[in-house]
Amino acid sequence: MGIIAKNVGKVFGNPAVRVLTEISLEIKDGEFISLTGRSGAGKSTLLYVLSSLDNPTEGSVQISGADITKMDPEELYRFRNQKMGFVFQFHYLIAELTAIQNVLLPAMKYKEERKRQSRAEALLEQFGLKEKLRRYPRQLSGGEQQRLAIARSLIMEPKYLFADEPTGALDTTNAETVMNILRDCSVKQGMTVIMVTHDPDFSLMAQRQIRLADGKIITEKENDK
Amino acid sequence: MIFLAIRYLLERKRQTILTLLGVFFGTMAFVSVSGYFAGFQGYLVQQLVNNAAQVHIEPRQDYLTDHDLDTAFFGSRTSHVFWGPPPAGVKGYLDIQSPQMWYQRLAADPRVEAYSPTLTAAALFTLGRISVAANLIGCNPKQQSKVTTVADYMIAGKFNDISVGGNRILLGDELMKRLGAGMQQTVLVSVGTSSAVPFKVVGRFYTGSRGLDLQAYGALPDVQKVNLTPNQVNEIAVRLKDYKEADTLARTWSRLAPERVESWADLNLNIQSVFAIQNALRFSMIMTVLIVAGFGIYNILNMTVNQKRQDIAILRALGYDTFDIIILFFSQGLIVGICGTTLGLICGYLFCRYLQTIPFMQATPSNPQGHLHIALTFAIYVQAAALALLSTSIASILPARAAGKLTPIEIIRQGG
Repeated sequence: MGIIAKNVGKVFGNPAVRVLTEISLEIKDGEFISLTGRSGAGKSTLLYVLSSLDNPTEGSVQISGADITKMDPEELYRFRNQKMGFVFQFHYLIAELTAIQNVLLPAMKYKEERKRQSRAEALLEQFGLKEKLRRYPRQLSGGEQQRLAIARSLIMEPKYLFADEPTGALDTTNAETVMNILRDCSVKQGMTVIMVTHDPDFSLMAQRQIRLADGKIITEKENDK
Repeated sequence: MIFLAIRYLLERKRQTILTLLGVFFGTMAFVSVSGYFAGFQGYLVQQLVNNAAQVHIEPRQDYLTDHDLDTAFFGSRTSHVFWGPPPAGVKGYLDIQSPQMWYQRLAADPRVEAYSPTLTAAALFTLGRISVAANLIGCNPKQQSKVTTVADYMIAGKFNDISVGGNRILLGDELMKRLGAGMQQTVLVSVGTSSAVPFKVVGRFYTGSRGLDLQAYGALPDVQKVNLTPNQVNEIAVRLKDYKEADTLARTWSRLAPERVESWADLNLNIQSVFAIQNALRFSMIMTVLIVAGFGIYNILNMTVNQKRQDIAILRALGYDTFDIIILFFSQGLIVGICGTTLGLICGYLFCRYLQTIPFMQATPSNPQGHLHIALTFAIYVQAAALALLSTSIASILPARAAGKLTPIEIIRQGG
């Protein structure tokens, strides 16, 4: 089913500033998509609209056949919790919780902590944080914090992973590690990954690259990697 | 969410403790000040309610007006009578007209615990060359003991010693001192135009109130005989099972017979208004403390909401809804409120117990140690808890609602 955006437009503020114009896009399940473009091109806004964090001013977005712009709020929160994972440029970890508690945070919403405990531990082990389960975010390095944030986004085994410049605040080594994790999510786990990035090299790691300018899609490329 | 709320509170211990102290002191102040005021009021009420009766039934006596006697003297045909001078004085009876009817009614009423008919007469007490004017109260001592606490104030003899009759009398301490009388001595008692009758002093009481201690008690038949009013009584004092019903019953009974029926509160209206002022003062003072504590919570929660915008954003992105976010911040205020209130109630209670041990006023027969009277009424604690929790709830819900309205995209776009 994937994600289908039809004639999506977004206008901000007063006086009105148009950020997206009639974007139509179809993303198949399991695809790894990169959104690129200059600052202000509308790539982050498109990501937020596709992920239901923001509402389009015009058009509709369907995810797994459901129109998220018309979804009941309660249903949307549950959908977001169960089907979507988010990674941002800043990790947005909760300082008062330990690494394992941060990973389990999405599971706490529907009291699934126990059920997800072993998966949380496995994810942290996979991301090299096995020894740091009980550490607080401030006791971790920048790269570790971002890996922790990715582990949190994967705890509910989401179908869709949205990443907004996930490597933006990382050094090259850590950025590559994060990119490998994202690619594995798509290739090995069949997750649909949509990533906003400024980095042309990381963009090429995606299966399909979509370039935006002035709120419109200007090019779409698929590679064989 | 409660788990995270607790973690937030524990992470900023100093702020949490300061906020908690505000609620704590507010609640403790409420309990202590209310305990003090209510204790003082209770003491006064107890004195009024216990030493005297709660409902008084007396003959109705109204003042004569200028034209009350027009018809009686000149019939109904005169249109106006010019008196010179106009009639003056009181009209009515000096005694209760049908005491038996009252006795039956009171005996049948389940709300009445006891009643005691009395005859009070202004008398002249003479011992040797000393004469003192004072009230002589004739009563049935067994009934009177059930209605008032006068029997508890006996310092010599027993209140029941007058029940055997034979012109025995109990003198108040002040009266005894003024007469220079001693136990078993005989004093002469005269009422109005009657000749002096000898009474043997068989007891002495001391209440601590000079007015009450300048009275004497005798058996009802003896006093009726001295007063030349056999079988007459001029007051029926009534004790109720619940003294708070006094007003209602007094109003009901006053419609059933010509007698004047008044409750203890009717007779002490000035004290009631003092109580009302005290209560208003107490509530306004304590509410000020709790409002200040509420502002403390409001400010700190507002700051927390601003500091935790990133957390709100990620929680919303992870599927937490508006209600969850409201609960996250509201519960922080409520946890502080509940802890502060609980501690305030406990410490307030302990402080009240301590205050009860402090000698503060002059010792009286009803308060031999002269300790402060502090009320430990359950209602005070319920009121304190309700007001403290109401104050913290209002202070918490406003920032919590503001947090609930934040959307993740606003915060993420602003860079947290």
